Amino acid sequence: MNTNNLPNWTDRAKSLLDDSVRDLDAATLSRLNRARQAALAQRAPRRRAAWLFVPAGLAGACALLLAVGVWHSQRPPTATLPTSTPVPAVAATTASKSLNTSDLDMIASGDDLEMMQDLDFYAWLDAQDQDNNG
Amino acid sequence: MTHTIALTTPAIWNPARVDAANTDERTLDQFLKSVERRALRMAELATGNRDEALDLVQDAMFGFARHYAAKPAADWAPLFYRVLDSRLNDWHRRRSVRSRWLAVWTRNDDDDEHDEIAQAPDTNDPGPLLRLAGSEAAHALDAALGNLPLRQRQAFLLRVWEGFDVAATASTMRCSEGSVKTHLSRALAALRRALEDHA
Repeated sequence: MNTNNLPNWTDRAKSLLDDSVRDLDAATLSRLNRARQAALAQRAPRRRAAWLFVPAGLAGACALLLAVGVWHSQRPPTATLPTSTPVPAVAATTASKSLNTSDLDMIASGDDLEMMQDLDFYAWLDAQDQDNNG
Repeated sequence: MTHTIALTTPAIWNPARVDAANTDERTLDQFLKSVERRALRMAELATGNRDEALDLVQDAMFGFARHYAAKPAADWAPLFYRVLDSRLNDWHRRRSVRSRWLAVWTRNDDDDEHDEIAQAPDTNDPGPLLRLAGSEAAHALDAALGNLPLRQRQAFLLRVWEGFDVAATASTMRCSEGSVKTHLSRALAALRRALEDHA
């Protein structure tokens, strides 16, 4: 008996089997090589595809963030009243609505938009008028 | 489990050296290269045809690479031979069905037909192969293995040639350890008888 509890003659059988695969012909070896490469190749795309998900996911997340940012920047600003003087709730709502309406009017009118761009100039002009009247 | 590599392998495969997390194509290639020749021999003994054997080995390589390559490298050998064993069983089943349809009567190789355990020979005897010269012994062994039923042959090749222990062989063949012992015992008895006749 050998170390594997097998009959001794199996060692000779093992040796003969080893010999039988030592000298395979070139065509068989080539076929085995092609089979091995094909097996490896059919596995490779799965791994590459898995890695492609990372940059694709990052790109998708960036695009989503950009879309949300653009959407937020294009929303009309909500007018808020100064909180120094208490304003009744109904009045505040009315004022807010009127401000929002006037904002919309300004946005709708091209002239008003131009005026808003020169807001500093008009503020200065207003101050000059007040000085002249005063 | 001890897995020894035959001298014939083009590259020495050592699963202990492989880090499972860093398994790459090259490691897998090295492993497949280390088992392909013996796998081909097993398939050839089962089919009796090299082309069919090559197809089966290729199928086994595909199945292994697809389903088991991510497993720890130490488990690769039993898993690869499990895939190959499955392919051989499928081939054997298809062939049996075809043979039945063609009404070709072949020798009944049912493993459970006879219980030969009680008739097992003395294992300390040098055995019949030592009485045969090199190439003659190889041919005799080849013929005797070819005549074994599939399960007996697989048990013999996995235990004797691959060096798998009983548990690993049972896992590979998807049967109980008791079945492995039975198959192996019958295989040893049948081989011995066949080789004695040849000597």
